[in-house]
Amino acid sequence: MITFKKGNLRVPKWNRRVFMVAGGTTAYRKFFPEYKLEELVMMAFKQMLEDNNLKMDPLEVKGLINYAAYGEFADHFQDQLLCEAKIHDYLGLDPLFNVGIKTGGATGGTTILNAAMAVASGYADVALAAGWERMDEVDTRTGNFYISTAACKDFETRLGRVYSSYYAPMANRFAWAFNVSETTRAKIAVKNRLYACSSPYAQQPGKHTVEEVLASPMSAYPLRFLECCAMSVGSACALLCDEKTAYQLSDNPCEVFICGGTHTLRVADRRPMDIPLLPNEIPGMYKELVKEGSRWPGFESFLAARFAAYLTYRMAGIHDPLEELDLVELHDAFTISDLQTYGDIGLRPYGQEQDYIESGDAYYGGKCPSNLSGGLLGTMHAVGATGIFQAVECLWQLQQKYDQFHGDSKIWKKWGKTKPRDWKSLQIPKKSKQALWVSHAGVGSHVTVCIIKKS
Amino acid sequence: MAKKTQQTKFIGQVTKIRQTEPQTVIEWPRALTHVHTYGMLSPFFQGLKEGKLKATFCPNKKCPEDRLWIPPRAHCPDCHTEMKWKTLRNPVIGKVYAFTEVVYAGTGIELSTPYWQIDVQLPGLATVPKSYLLYGKPYIGMKVMAEFRTEKPSNTVLDYYWVPVE
Ligand SMILES: [Zn+2]
Repeated sequence: MITFKKGNLRVPKWNRRVFMVAGGTTAYRKFFPEYKLEELVMMAFKQMLEDNNLKMDPLEVKGLINYAAYGEFADHFQDQLLCEAKIHDYLGLDPLFNVGIKTGGATGGTTILNAAMAVASGYADVALAAGWERMDEVDTRTGNFYISTAACKDFETRLGRVYSSYYAPMANRFAWAFNVSETTRAKIAVKNRLYACSSPYAQQPGKHTVEEVLASPMSAYPLRFLECCAMSVGSACALLCDEKTAYQLSDNPCEVFICGGTHTLRVADRRPMDIPLLPNEIPGMYKELVKEGSRWPGFESFLAARFAAYLTYRMAGIHDPLEELDLVELHDAFTISDLQTYGDIGLRPYGQEQDYIESGDAYYGGKCPSNLSGGLLGTMHAVGATGIFQAVECLWQLQQKYDQFHGDSKIWKKWGKTKPRDWKSLQIPKKSKQALWVSHAGVGSHVTVCIIKKS
Repeated sequence: MAKKTQQTKFIGQVTKIRQTEPQTVIEWPRALTHVHTYGMLSPFFQGLKEGKLKATFCPNKKCPEDRLWIPPRAHCPDCHTEMKWKTLRNPVIGKVYAFTEVVYAGTGIELSTPYWQIDVQLPGLATVPKSYLLYGKPYIGMKVMAEFRTEKPSNTVLDYYWVPVE
């Protein structure tokens, strides 16, 4: 669809307010032989119930749950159909209804959206959103092939069999259209991998330099290994509830606003269209944007992300995202996907995306820091868990619990690590009110944009 | 009386143990073939083997989309009308819209690495199909011509590719 009719642009409205009160996560690793999948999900579930300062006994909180939404990217990886049933039983939640959610890399975000819809509609007062991925049953190249079957199997998969090769042409086109240097992309990898050094959950923390990123082996030109996320194993979960229960459970629940958008699986099929404008954008401002032969969204931008932001900002009453948001968690599966998204969600106008990094706004202490969790590049991309993990990181930040969940040496020890001597807190300031995260699939096939607000 | 000689036998392969520390990890071999149809798009793949690049178009005169589709579709996404085929006249000349050099590819890759994957803009198309450049180094705007694997075809989308137009 490239022309909108009136109904298409309706802004979603909950029937009642939805809140998030608690979250849990495992650590993430490339290979995780210590635990079975259901054991990992249980560990995240326990952290959510036991360690979030909820005002009720953990098993009493569990007794409030009415519904569960489970995110898993690919049955291929788990090699277990109906994995949801196995996990649900293992968590001891039968006979409550549960549903499996699958929207590629956006699975985590969609799982939260589904759980939120259950609460908003009244189906549930309390809903569990949990996600996972176990990508270590096959070798890395086979994992890459599996993921590439999330490109079109008839017209694209055989042309790369690795997802970096579907993002790399966008990176080249983006650099050409907006005159972006490779250094800007490399800085994103440096930033997010550095922030991962503060996280006991992180898979790939590292104090890299721009030079190291650019000298790392090439995956698909221009994307180097250090610009790509890795295969991951782990799980995350979040607890959503109605307003009354939220305050029974927590002194600092956060209100949830979330919407999604979609676009073609094949970049090839993106037809040019008008740009849906965000609340702070002015008609006509993008007239001069595209060079001859270019088009919007072209290979540079994501309609799905723009559409999701268009709806969520209106749903949550956001006018100027850069001014009003205190933290964002973006889907940095590749440095380029991170960069492309800055324009889609209005952290910068289209064509000026790189300035979000170059200005310092994106850094800890900056105007609107991004991916303090370490993101996908530094911390994790256990796909079904990713959007939930980032939601939980946003929640803990707004609840002023960054140190509680990242700085405790016991958590480091639990995951077989030692808290670094030079550990640095990345807690955002107390006055922070709103955080956003993006959950993103394919080359932009599904995107959710979620905002949580401290109430 | 039950006969002990008629007991159930283990007829599988012994499962290999990969490691026992910190926990037991076994190997679970998988080998499988899917039977996959090209459906109503079969003429496209047949065409490649005959040296023809075929596109589809919506024959509905009232439809807002009058351009060609490659990858082809059997039904118009805008008005749902069944599409019709049009063979592009050789030589098919296009321009590189985007590109990458695939260096590290996943299991089963059928092209020798590294190779140049290219997205090609063609006049009259609504789409920008992905393919590869047989030789040379691409840049945005580079003119390229379609060629076909008519001998020993692979029966896949890899049966057409592009070469530079000097
Ligand atoms: Zn039509």
